Amino acid sequence: MPFAGIDIGSTMTKVVITDEQEKILASHIGPTGAEHRHLALKVMDETIKKAGLSFDALDFIVATGYGRINVPFADKQITEITCHARGIRFLFPTARTIIDIGGQDSKGIKLDADGKVSNFVMNDKCAAGTGRFLEVISETLGIALTDMGALALSADGFVQISNMCTVFAEHEVTSRLAEGAGVAEIVAGLHEAIASRVVNMTRHLGIEKDVVVTGGGAKNQGLVKAIEGKVGFAVFTPPEPFITGALGAALVGKDFYDRGIRPAKERKKEEVTFFS
Amino acid sequence: MTVMQAIDRLYNERGVRARELRADGHKIIGYFCCFVPDEILAAFDLVPYRIQGSQSEPIDEADALLEPMACPFARSCFNLALKDRYDFLDGFVAPHSCDTIERMYHIWHSNKPTSFDHLINVPHMLGPSSDAFFRNELKYFISRLEDFTGKKLDESKLRDAIRLYNRRRALLREVYDLRRENPPRVSGTEITKLLVAGMGIPAAEHIGLVSAFIDEVKKRPRPAADGLPRIFLWGNEIDDIAFVSLVEECGAHVVMDDLCTGSRFFWQDVSETGDPLEALARRYLCTHCPRSLKPQAGNRREDLENRFGYIREFADGWKAAGAIFYIVRYCDTCELEGPDLKEYLTDLKLPVLMIEDDYSTSTIGQLRTRIQAFLEMIM
Repeated sequence: MPFAGIDIGSTMTKVVITDEQEKILASHIGPTGAEHRHLALKVMDETIKKAGLSFDALDFIVATGYGRINVPFADKQITEITCHARGIRFLFPTARTIIDIGGQDSKGIKLDADGKVSNFVMNDKCAAGTGRFLEVISETLGIALTDMGALALSADGFVQISNMCTVFAEHEVTSRLAEGAGVAEIVAGLHEAIASRVVNMTRHLGIEKDVVVTGGGAKNQGLVKAIEGKVGFAVFTPPEPFITGALGAALVGKDFYDRGIRPAKERKKEEVTFFS
Repeated sequence: MTVMQAIDRLYNERGVRARELRADGHKIIGYFCCFVPDEILAAFDLVPYRIQGSQSEPIDEADALLEPMACPFARSCFNLALKDRYDFLDGFVAPHSCDTIERMYHIWHSNKPTSFDHLINVPHMLGPSSDAFFRNELKYFISRLEDFTGKKLDESKLRDAIRLYNRRRALLREVYDLRRENPPRVSGTEITKLLVAGMGIPAAEHIGLVSAFIDEVKKRPRPAADGLPRIFLWGNEIDDIAFVSLVEECGAHVVMDDLCTGSRFFWQDVSETGDPLEALARRYLCTHCPRSLKPQAGNRREDLENRFGYIREFADGWKAAGAIFYIVRYCDTCELEGPDLKEYLTDLKLPVLMIEDDYSTSTIGQLRTRIQAFLEMIM
């Protein structure tokens, strides 16, 4: 019995299909972006194809992420907070704190001993502490986003960046460069600033072991190291941090199914429309 | 016109009834917050009008005169005044509820003076001397109204007004009692409209509307159990349905509140016996706005109980499964009271979601994920 989770984030759409044994059958990632909205259905189709299934074979489809509201082919929409918790707990049964660094927001999630969400914090109104912050600055510096983490790790110390406002931080970086600071040290400073922001936000919940860092930010080793520096111990990252939300969504769908809940309305294989 | 249509009209066309009354020769007095006794204005045959802002209209003209880091509710009200949306007011009364409103009064007075501008000094610390102090301030307010209207206060009319407003309070509490049902037959969205509709009309008219509303709700069939969580709201000004609708749309029933646009302005009666001014002073000073501070009582736990015990009764009585704090940004008193209240409610095992927002319907959609995740968490 296959279950699908589709996580439509601000920059990427992720789909995971699992079976009733909670085994991952297939996963696929595609871009979201303003010009790629219609691709959500395509990512879904690709994953179904990889799993060797048909659309109608899916027993439950859960949509999550920022684009979850109007997914015509989903049976339920559940927030990424609940889905990340389910996905991370599946991968790390001892996880109690999750730090999710996405493209446009970041979140701290606290789990109780049973893996249920007990509290969360969210930064969803500014780019500070998100992937977008690094993306903007990487453009300013002319460095590929994927090289930023390694560059930070190669630095000899770091330059303090005090502005967390992305616009002001851009100015600050430019003036630090003008003062002669090294690029690697500046990049390391930016990673310190983001780590500080997300860790302090998560401290409102009380940081408890084990800590898992997920979302696109977990792909950046420089950022993960900086977070470890702030919390004072080693954190875990999933093998594929992009798909934990979609994985959680598929598992939440399976949970619904196990509780006897069945798709309530007809699925429409149509493009996803966004609410904002 | 059905009762819901009448409510919708007053809710959508703010000030429509005040304009009609003014055309008939009545004088309309606008005021801020819940510290200005309507009864005193009504005793002078003046029509009290509770000033609101507009969450759907961007603040533009006011930004030329005010800094954007001031309370967006106050800025929005002033913005509407600058755009002559409050040109039907014959007078303008501000209580010193918070520093923003107090300063706002002076800025309003300099830019948009009316023929009766007045600031009421309201003590912040509630102690043995505050009732007497506030009673004196109300006496001064009355003497200024006597000068403005050219007539002496008629004490029997003041007593009548107290009885009239108590009647309205009793009816509104009856509406809130209907919210105890599970699931309730009345939504938080409808309640918000009913309360806002009443802020710009005479009490006698609101009484008619509220009674008709109660009759209408009682005729509705009982809905089947839906298992949706029941939410208690705490915060300041919610004079637009956008936020409450969003919470209910995400799958919840908003069943109780402690808001200055909600229970705070009508929950307690004014005593109908003894000196009416003393009764008014006592009643209005007890308004649960976080701008007022009760003196420290006992240890930490006892102090929190002394300050927030009434909220525990609200949450228990209306069987809330979670509390949402909706704070209009830059409201220092709410933001500083929030953590204490959160601690108190968390100890009572009531989950809390604290939201700070911009007093703008255009940013409310961004709160959807947080609200929905909170509801998933408490389910």
